[in-house]
Amino acid sequence: MLSVTIVVATSFAYLALLFGVAHLGDRRAREGRSLIGNAWVYTLSMGVYCTAWTYFGSIASAATSGLWFLPIYLGPTLAMLLAWTLLRKMIRIARIHRITSIADFIASRHGKSPLLAMLVTLIAVIGILPYVALQLKAVASGYALLTELPGAAAAQPLPWWRDSALYIALVLAGFTIAFGTRRLDASERHEGMVAAIALESLVKLVCFVAVGAFVAWGLFDGPADLFARAADRPELARLSSLRDLGAGFDGGSWFAMMLLAALSVIFLPRQFQVMVVENVDERHVRRATWAFPLYLLLINLFVLPIALGGLLHFGIGRENPETFVLSLPLATGHPALALAAFIGGLSAATGMIIVEVIAVSTMVCNDLLLPLQLRAGLRAARDLGGVLLGIRRGVIVAILLLGYLYYRVAGETQALISIGLISFAAVAQFAPAMLGGMYWKGGTRRAAFAGLSAGFLLWAWTLMLPSLAPAVGMPAQLVDAGPFGVAWLRPEHLLGMTGLDKLTHALFWSLSVNTALYFGVSLLGRPSARETSQALLFVDVFERTDRHSADRGPVFWRGHAELADLHRLAVRFLGADDAERLIVEYARRSGAAGPEQIVADARFVQFVETHLAGAIGSASARLMVASVVDEEALELDDVMRILDEASREAAQLRAHSHALEENARSLQRATAELSAANEALKSLDRLKDEFMSSVTHELRTPLTSIRALAELMADDPALDVAQRQHFLGLVVAETERLTRLVNEVLDMAKLESGHAEWRAAEVDLRALVQQAVQTTRELFRERGAVVEMHLPDAVPPLQADPDRLTQVLVNLLSNAAKFVPTERGHVDITLYANTEHLGVTVCDNGPGVEAAQQALVFERFRQGGDTAQRPQGTGLGLPISRRIVEHFGGRMWLHSEPGHGACFGFELPLRRDTPDQEMRP
Amino acid sequence: MFKGLRSQRLLGLSALGWLLLNAPLLTLWDREVVLWGLPLLPLALFVGWTGLIALAAWIAEAPGEPD
Repeated sequence: MLSVTIVVATSFAYLALLFGVAHLGDRRAREGRSLIGNAWVYTLSMGVYCTAWTYFGSIASAATSGLWFLPIYLGPTLAMLLAWTLLRKMIRIARIHRITSIADFIASRHGKSPLLAMLVTLIAVIGILPYVALQLKAVASGYALLTELPGAAAAQPLPWWRDSALYIALVLAGFTIAFGTRRLDASERHEGMVAAIALESLVKLVCFVAVGAFVAWGLFDGPADLFARAADRPELARLSSLRDLGAGFDGGSWFAMMLLAALSVIFLPRQFQVMVVENVDERHVRRATWAFPLYLLLINLFVLPIALGGLLHFGIGRENPETFVLSLPLATGHPALALAAFIGGLSAATGMIIVEVIAVSTMVCNDLLLPLQLRAGLRAARDLGGVLLGIRRGVIVAILLLGYLYYRVAGETQALISIGLISFAAVAQFAPAMLGGMYWKGGTRRAAFAGLSAGFLLWAWTLMLPSLAPAVGMPAQLVDAGPFGVAWLRPEHLLGMTGLDKLTHALFWSLSVNTALYFGVSLLGRPSARETSQALLFVDVFERTDRHSADRGPVFWRGHAELADLHRLAVRFLGADDAERLIVEYARRSGAAGPEQIVADARFVQFVETHLAGAIGSASARLMVASVVDEEALELDDVMRILDEASREAAQLRAHSHALEENARSLQRATAELSAANEALKSLDRLKDEFMSSVTHELRTPLTSIRALAELMADDPALDVAQRQHFLGLVVAETERLTRLVNEVLDMAKLESGHAEWRAAEVDLRALVQQAVQTTRELFRERGAVVEMHLPDAVPPLQADPDRLTQVLVNLLSNAAKFVPTERGHVDITLYANTEHLGVTVCDNGPGVEAAQQALVFERFRQGGDTAQRPQGTGLGLPISRRIVEHFGGRMWLHSEPGHGACFGFELPLRRDTPDQEMRP
Repeated sequence: MFKGLRSQRLLGLSALGWLLLNAPLLTLWDREVVLWGLPLLPLALFVGWTGLIALAAWIAEAPGEPD
């Protein structure tokens, strides 16, 4: 047992923390640094789906009927898989039309009907009362459990002024007012509230999992131990199965519950609020598609273990399983954990109440009270902001008190889950009008009205009435025998239907009649012009808008309007500042010179109406705009004509912008190509300069010595013959070197310019190697070096130019010959073949090449070794060889460690996929 | 109605989920078998559920496709 002070103080401290977070969120939103512009926060805020029902009720359900708590979470998982299609469409529609509640959504789609909005609001309010009651009941019983002595007799219902649930309801009403109605936001977005809800979702998950882990590993020896002990007792073992419960597995009910939950997760007012109205970026839906189901999975992981653990610990039927999550830690001496669990449950309940009641109060204010007041003459009032806030605050208190009333009347006798399911079944009635309205253009206002009212009446008769009847003192015979004994009207056996459980029975009748009427009545009538125009805007929203645009698409309005009238209207409902800001914004976007120059055309009328709709709902906005402008009624033909024009304009615009984009892209491409070409030219130019200077340098050396020798001979006619002969020999050698150099330069130039001539023939590389060694034999003999050949018996033939390859081989061999040490030289030439390549390596035992030099040897005029002992050569042999090898699609390399010789090698592909164009026969 | 590969894949996954998590396929797991100390049916439900989520994550987070 915990002291009342501690429990109350902790609860208030926690609520104050939430309030602080909300305050921060609102401040950051005003500063433009949104706290909630994040897919994870969006996902967590959806966790408001898990209420006290999940936190306390699921365990009770698991303790009595095993796995039957799961469909309530499996359904939403499967619904979320469709979020990318369905939810994103709802978000897009709501953003374009500034829709702020589900009532507004349905009414706006079906011709902005005020009556329809009222009906949806009524269903939502009555439908969620049991759900609010459920939260109050859960928190009140949790509070009682924590603060009462264990084993205290279940107290008689207290008089209302001593009932903690009433005070809980009032405190929560205060908090809801503080969260949701501090100021009027034209778009009904509450960033601070969303931040607080996301935090609450995290807190309840962590607390619940903590209790689950404590039960599984603290009280028992892990889940396996827990399940093993449960398996020993048949009445517990059956909870892990679906088969043994009564007469086999009732697949129909299982499916019905999944479907019900799948619809609820989308159409519950609070889910609509966090998923659609509070969405800041529709791309966040992608993360939520899987992350929200994951949240549901995590929060359900320990439900069965806690239920089994509680039943094993306390025994069956001793403690109320709804509060196992509190009583288990309390009974085993962990009051702190129990307090944390209570805070988690409080989180679950307050989160639900705050969001649900704010969403419903917006609906009641905009779609129920405001239209009535506007009709009754509130039109004269000047500033409505204060009035609207006052209405909402009153509505919030009223809803919570009504919830408390339901709790007092019917809550104490029912399980949490059965109360919750009543609410689910009520909001499921929105499904035909919502889904039909979003994907089918034929739905009409009458049909939606007929379907919704019939569905609601059937829900009230088959589900709500039986749950209330015993509590309000209605004779039991009404439910059991039917009103006035008319058996086919029995609420739980309509038309004498049997074999279905209560919920499936109610769901079957209400949803099927609702759906049939929605489609049937639509098909029997003809949609009006306004219904058709709204249907077009809703169903084809993805075709007409993109993620960023605010107002594209056709405007279905015709008439005459004055700027001043519309301006005055905007000021009245949005406040002077917001109205001014909007109109300046519109002037900027429409290209008008200033706010006074705006043409009050159809688009401007639509702009004002859409923004009014954000503040007071689409039906009221329609009414107000209609009251200040002269408008002509549109016929169906006009709608079609406007649509045609709009799609033609849009197509032209698209084609135009597409062409522009294409132009810009090709311009960009051309610029990039030009600058690349320019770079290439510049670098070629630089190379050419370097090449010229190297060539002239190389030419000068032999020329200088030829000239010196010739001058010597010319100056001294008396030079003896032997000397003269020696000089002439030198001149001839230098001239030969000069010729070789010029030839190689020419060769290189041809290779580089692509003008070289290539012969293609079948080449046996083995024969070429032998021939090259033969050719260079004399060179090696002079240096006293040994050449060793390592050749396979045969290699596959190669398509190449044999003369060029011989040139490469001779070059590598003569290179090696130059560098091997005199009289101790040893050169290995190896030919190898693998599946794709033929390769040749030539390794010598010369001084090798330093690492820094290795990269340079293939560059022109960069001979290996230092200049002093550089042997004869032009410095073009290796670059030319590499060019040749690369021409045949191969590569050439050098491996060398200084002091251990150098190894040159090249590889040629056996098959060339893309024959080079220079390859001519 | 359901444009884009991503939407269609998720739609298919949802259909698969409805099939797997309902009768009669669900009853196939309802046997007195214990795996790693855990009864088969709850284990199968949670494992199947995790599998759906993993596939959904893979499809939803795949880069590239706009919708």
